[in-house]
Amino acid sequence: MAVLNEYISFIIERSDQLLTLTGEHIYLTLIAVVIAIAIGVPLGILITRVKKLSGFVIGLANALQAMPSLAMLGFMIPILGIGSRPSIVMIFLYSLLPIIKNTYIGLSNVDESMLEAGKGMGMTGGQLMRMVQLPLALPVIMGGIRISAVTAVGLTTLAALIGAGGLGQLIYRGISMVNNKMIIAGAIPAMILALLVDFVLSLMEKAVTPKGLRK
Amino acid sequence: MRFLRNLSITIIIAMLFTSLTGCSGLNTKAESDSNSDKQLIIGGTTYTEQFIVSELLATLVEEKMPDVKVVRKQGLNGTMVVHSAMTNGDIDAAVEYIGSGLMQILHKDLIRDPDEAYKVVKDNYHDKWHIKWLKPLGFNNTYAMVVKKDYAKAHGLKNSSDLSKVASDITLGCSMEFSERPDGYPGWKKAYGIDLKDIVPMDSGIMYSSIKNGEVNAISAFATDGRIPEFDLQVLEDDKEFFPPYYAVPMIKEEKLKEIPGLEELINKLGDKINDKEMMKLNAKVDIDGMEPHEVAKEFLKENNLI
Repeated sequence: MAVLNEYISFIIERSDQLLTLTGEHIYLTLIAVVIAIAIGVPLGILITRVKKLSGFVIGLANALQAMPSLAMLGFMIPILGIGSRPSIVMIFLYSLLPIIKNTYIGLSNVDESMLEAGKGMGMTGGQLMRMVQLPLALPVIMGGIRISAVTAVGLTTLAALIGAGGLGQLIYRGISMVNNKMIIAGAIPAMILALLVDFVLSLMEKAVTPKGLRK
Repeated sequence: MRFLRNLSITIIIAMLFTSLTGCSGLNTKAESDSNSDKQLIIGGTTYTEQFIVSELLATLVEEKMPDVKVVRKQGLNGTMVVHSAMTNGDIDAAVEYIGSGLMQILHKDLIRDPDEAYKVVKDNYHDKWHIKWLKPLGFNNTYAMVVKKDYAKAHGLKNSSDLSKVASDITLGCSMEFSERPDGYPGWKKAYGIDLKDIVPMDSGIMYSSIKNGEVNAISAFATDGRIPEFDLQVLEDDKEFFPPYYAVPMIKEEKLKEIPGLEELINKLGDKINDKEMMKLNAKVDIDGMEPHEVAKEFLKENNLI
């Protein structure tokens, strides 16, 4: 229990710093994921409608995902400098793939008979997308967003290396000082944040599931 | 609830980590003992100078003692990590700075006199960990508060104390380590009584380009870094004499010195061979000219007829 007490007093001692860093962490993650949603979902819709593009777009997103995140961060420095901007771009690029892919899969897998029914009612292509395909695909899309967001929380710890702050800063400071209290003080809030994000998004995933599809 | 369950699992895992890691430290034992050949593991931290000086040691031993197998463990994340690795037996030798040993490892008070500081560090390392500090290499890689030359001119900055005039304007870029060390920002702030607007800890290698690009307007540079003249940066004198002397000194585990006869004499040949200017030049060859640290080290050793 001594360890726990020490840890708690460390947290209290550093609470201001911890709060600032947590705030920065949430800020970086949130902006990046929101941009990823704003770009990823429309891209996913686009490649469902223009199938020719799908191979290229998904391939590109795949390649981005495959690049080591640290290297990506390094590439950003000459272009965007240091601080939050390059970090957000890096997290954004990593968050794209699950969102694009899930949007594409969700939309493509909508039951053919549903589409036929829509067409039979005289829906236009846009209406069909808005009123049939998207609502039915929404749970799958939300699943993609959930994966992206949880990964992004972890990824944001890297941002500290280029001066963007966030909880990674405590982790790296802790590593360079061989101070486990400090590492843990950065790691635990990041873990809690990831779990919290996962939990909130899982609720939203349930909420957006159309009544007919709920179990 | 699932969330609460996950949360409690997380906390249990984290607590396990704390209690486990508390006693173990680094666990990257080298694959030694497999052959009976003598082996010397040389460590170093993440920045250019450390790569060069560890290469100096490594290349010198490789060239002069072909029967000793040299293993390099460079890129360790800071003085504390090197120290844990030394005391755990993960590395046998490294180049450490007097001030780092004195204040960060031994937690002693500041000693300005380099010879006295050296003696204190040397004696304590011998008594506590059976690590021998050899002859200093010659240069003093102290921390230096640095701003751009034109910024210094515009605001009339000469000494570190002058930073008080512009404290509310200064965003200081520094290494992760500097933001925590007693001989880093926390101590500096107290000694000078200056509270800078903001500090931005980052990887130490990118501090220089970040001040060059105006993302920060001051950095805690390493005095022997070749980018200080190259990027038109101005060192602000440490007028309150806060930073201890950071002469670089090779340190080796005493059992290794016994195991490999002549090793001590060999490394000591590097003693007083590199002054501040020379080290700055060597650093610039890597950071500015893009040479490899091992090439720079080899070239230096050849020029000085050491190999």
